Amino acid sequence: MDLDFAQLRRLLPHGPGMVLLDRVEELEPETGLTAFKTISGGEPCYALLDGSAGIDAFAYPASLLLESFGQAAAVLWLCSTPAAERVLMFAGAKECEFTGHAYPGDTVRHVVRLEHRSEGAAFVSGHTLVGERRIASYGSLTAVVRPRSALPEPAAVASITTG
Amino acid sequence: MADGDLYLEELRELVAEVLEVEPEELTDTGDFQAEYEADSLRAIEMLARIEKKYKIAIPQKELANMQNLKAVYEVTASYANWPKG
Repeated sequence: MDLDFAQLRRLLPHGPGMVLLDRVEELEPETGLTAFKTISGGEPCYALLDGSAGIDAFAYPASLLLESFGQAAAVLWLCSTPAAERVLMFAGAKECEFTGHAYPGDTVRHVVRLEHRSEGAAFVSGHTLVGERRIASYGSLTAVVRPRSALPEPAAVASITTG
Repeated sequence: MADGDLYLEELRELVAEVLEVEPEELTDTGDFQAEYEADSLRAIEMLARIEKKYKIAIPQKELANMQNLKAVYEVTASYANWPKG
């Protein structure tokens, strides 16, 4: 099964600008998927770099790479679980290694494997490539599942401006 | 070695890996939180590894009854139909 960006926007709970995936391919609900994100120089994470910044400054942040991979893992879980009643929350990551970088113009490819899912948690592993170059490996990401009714309503968030 | 002892030692290896201690440091009755600084995330990871290894499902509510190795064995044994310790 493949998912386009519009489908990903509807599936993920993230607000506008926070969906860090462009498409998903080869989704098998109890096994894994492949997800893609193309990095653009116009993304908010680069907004504060001034005109003198060299290309090294545009290395895509590891934190956002991990978030993008985590969202791909969330897609895997959401496609096999009714989302209305429960919320999936990122709980931890271990044995993660970042061995390379991605830059504007690159398309990162996340390979996500479902290792185990249980009543209250899901565990995935995988890696991220640019072309055939592996830039990150994730030994284990843990997500916990909680009933939506048990969580407080999110507070209103003030808009964030830059510059 | 009796089956129960074998399973206990398998669990000792598994739990020690989650708690990042040597198996010989993990006692049968040492409290995971008090003596090995385990948190809820490690507890969830421990439960998942047990479920995956023995192909069983253990409700998360049982975590409250799995605070040391002996207790982990007792709960796992009840869901996996092992001999009681």
